Amino acid sequence: MPSVTIANLRPGMKLSRPIVNESGMVLLPQGTVLSDSLIGRIENINIATVSIEGDSKPKKPLEDELAEIDDRFKMAADQPLMQMLKRIMKEHAEGMNQR
Amino acid sequence: MIDKDLRTIRAEIERIDTLPTIPTILKKLLGVIENPKASLTTIGNFVSNDPVLTSRVLRMVNSPVYGFPGRISSVNQALILLGLNVVRGLLLGVSVFEAMQKAMLGLWEHSLGTAIAARIIAKRKKMAEPEEVSVAALLHDMGKVALSLKFPADYEKLLKDVEARSLLISEGEKELFDVTHADAGAWVAKRWNFPANLVEIIEYHHKPHLSKNYPMQTAVVHLADVLIRARGFGFAGDMLVPNLNQAAWFSLDLKEQNLKDIMLELEDLLQEAAEFILSDE
Repeated sequence: MPSVTIANLRPGMKLSRPIVNESGMVLLPQGTVLSDSLIGRIENINIATVSIEGDSKPKKPLEDELAEIDDRFKMAADQPLMQMLKRIMKEHAEGMNQR
Repeated sequence: MIDKDLRTIRAEIERIDTLPTIPTILKKLLGVIENPKASLTTIGNFVSNDPVLTSRVLRMVNSPVYGFPGRISSVNQALILLGLNVVRGLLLGVSVFEAMQKAMLGLWEHSLGTAIAARIIAKRKKMAEPEEVSVAALLHDMGKVALSLKFPADYEKLLKDVEARSLLISEGEKELFDVTHADAGAWVAKRWNFPANLVEIIEYHHKPHLSKNYPMQTAVVHLADVLIRARGFGFAGDMLVPNLNQAAWFSLDLKEQNLKDIMLELEDLLQEAAEFILSDE
């Protein structure tokens, strides 16, 4: 669910969260597909970013991710604390990959 | 080793604000924030009169780094919500970011990521001022900017050398300058009259066990820095994870499961921060 700044909104993007004003009133509901005119109106509201549906970037293959983690940890081979950290990072990368 | 003694290096780093390559916005800003007696009103007025600075600060406080999305609409509101020290640090952060990007591509991402991680950890540890810790994390590597602004050619060579020899950037700095970015950053922060906790966190973010007055805040920034490097977010001068300091780790009293939870919370915010960085200006 990437959050995009107003300047980077494009027609066709779909809101993954509603846009609300300062008092909590919903201005545009979740699922709204943005058009040029809607983007123009969003520009007039005082908000920094909008949440849109979809992925912001293509994912890296998991094997590459894990190999990079090994590389980054090469200095700290036998330290128990660093071993734990490395294990957490690998599990984390695996978890993220399945999302 | 560079042919200058420590005192000369320190004097030159402390006068970094007189370099012609320093962004004008930073020069103007320093005149105001260096003064420890500057009031909320003085700073508020100064920033409000500069549209670039205003928009950068507001974007920052409304960004995932601070977690007040879309809620802060004026500089004065930011000053009230976050306090003078945090806003002073943020102002410095948003004004050095151009220099940061020039010094080292990816250092701004590294800094933002560390700021986000530090706020998450500080909140979980129920520390009184998570925003203060976060702003210290945002600025923890400003010594790298100072060194590379003052010694651009040497620092560029250093980066290549560090990569070729698989060193940590601070090891390379120590060889070349006999000091590291942690020392340089603390000198500048002290010179600019930054709060004592900020100076100490910057100075000891690689040696958190040496922090006398703010050991917990320093430990948080140290862990945040290590986590962001381990996650591979941004670039801090080398692609290696420095050792997590044992004493700092024990003083934080976190379990393996806590770290996993921190990583999950961090991930969503990093995604948003990446968008925030990509869409910059």
